[in-house]
Amino acid sequence: MKGLIIKDIMCLKKQLTTFVYVISGVVVISILYVLSSRFGNLAEVGKTLLDENNNMSEIDVKNLGSMVLIMSMLIPVVSVGDMLNVFIADGKAGFFKVSASLPVSLKKRMLSRFLTIYALFAIGAFVDTILALVLSALTDIMSFGSFLGIIVSSASVLSIYSALMILYCVILGYGREQYAQVFALLTIILAFVIIKFKSVKFVVIHVLGDGVGFDSSTFWKPLDYFREKGYVFLLIAVLVSIVSYCLSLYIAERKRGVI
Amino acid sequence: MDEVKNVIELKNVTKDYGDFKLDNVSFAVPEGTVCGFIGQNGAGKTTTINLILDIIKKDAGEVFLFGQPVSKDTAALREDVGVVFDEMGFHEFMTGRDINIMMKNIYKNWDEEAFFDYLKKFSLPSKKKCGAFSRGMRMKLQIAVALSHHAKLLVMDEPTSGLDPIVRNEMINIFREFVVKEDHTILLSSHITADLEKIADEVVFIDGGRIVLAGNKDEIMEKHAILKCRKDDVSKVSESLIVHCEVSDYGAEILVNDRHAAEKLYPGMIMENAALEDIMLHYINAKNERQR
Repeated sequence: MKGLIIKDIMCLKKQLTTFVYVISGVVVISILYVLSSRFGNLAEVGKTLLDENNNMSEIDVKNLGSMVLIMSMLIPVVSVGDMLNVFIADGKAGFFKVSASLPVSLKKRMLSRFLTIYALFAIGAFVDTILALVLSALTDIMSFGSFLGIIVSSASVLSIYSALMILYCVILGYGREQYAQVFALLTIILAFVIIKFKSVKFVVIHVLGDGVGFDSSTFWKPLDYFREKGYVFLLIAVLVSIVSYCLSLYIAERKRGVI
Repeated sequence: MDEVKNVIELKNVTKDYGDFKLDNVSFAVPEGTVCGFIGQNGAGKTTTINLILDIIKKDAGEVFLFGQPVSKDTAALREDVGVVFDEMGFHEFMTGRDINIMMKNIYKNWDEEAFFDYLKKFSLPSKKKCGAFSRGMRMKLQIAVALSHHAKLLVMDEPTSGLDPIVRNEMINIFREFVVKEDHTILLSSHITADLEKIADEVVFIDGGRIVLAGNKDEIMEKHAILKCRKDDVSKVSESLIVHCEVSDYGAEILVNDRHAAEKLYPGMIMENAALEDIMLHYINAKNERQR
């Protein structure tokens, strides 16, 4: 099984090279961002937003700023976790036949794929944690706990996405990986809309409408949730991964020789 | 006398794809032999091999590997099996070194030294991406992998197809070296019967998903013969002896299934040895004519 995980990581070798550049870039961007938001143009923009826009509060400006930083911090996790390339490479090479002839059971072959994802997310999350440690120590943008909450939440959401993508790849078979990606994304969006229907409806109505009666604190609720309830996302990710693994295994067993 | 151990055994194995059916396939490969698995393209050779390796699920029947029934829980049996497919299967970016790293973490008996020795022996650069290899080199790489974990059984699906005669001959020599050890066995599928004539002890001939002939190669070749006669003499030959008859302007060529009987019954007719290819072609043509 270890050999298959190594092979999967080899498939992402190109991505891992990019990953090193991405990390360096993100560190530089974060430092520049922190400096700019304190003393530079971003600080000016924040000030202008507060002066000219009556709907904006100081918290809104701060949240907007932290969102930008969070986005850049998510890049390392996203950049390593794309299992799509592994599926495409396996399908192209016809590796499934080789792997099926190895002394590794289907259970372990499937498990290796899931473990590869978590290994990669762990690397991404580790890098982000170090970054968060530095940023929280140097700035007052966010506490280390909030940073950590966001890292756990994002890695969890991405794990859910990857677990679903593997499931869809197994269902659809080789050559249809792009559809699997779209279906995984749609499933997450759909689940989010169903669970948070009220909030989504509220935001949509006010964004599309005239903005009258818009309470910005409602708008920031998902961000707060993301920051504070990382463990909920983690639990969901574990649950989805287990269900996805069991279903993938069941389907792979039934479709043996096809995937 | 020692009982013959079968390394591979199939009993009434069936796999139905709708448009193709592997029908009630039964045969055995004894330990220490080279078994040639012959048949035209699409006859069911790859499907049978996939069933032996448990890559696909059988609909009915039983498959035994080293005397144990093959099931989803017997992946460990594949520790002793080296597999060579008609297509390489390794990712094109992988080098010999990458494959070594992967395989040494998969096979308990992986022999790193042996692997690099084989690469050297086959003139395969260990640092070059295998996507840049020729077909012959790709096949050799697969053979190097198959031989580097001290497998007792080699299962090969068309390893020599598409290769030039020199590389094919090289490969046959490698297989010969492998079977020098008495507990080593090879199942070699090919439609190039000339290769199998050189190396096989046993032959299994499959056509249209059914086993047509199975047994000792020499016995099969000894039993069959090509009987050449005039067109008018064909009617004199007993129908029970005829597998298939091909009539041309120059005369008739009949594949008979009992050479000794035919020699006794028709001493005046010319009897020639039948090559595996002749036997295969006549059986296939006979079936096609029956279906018409």
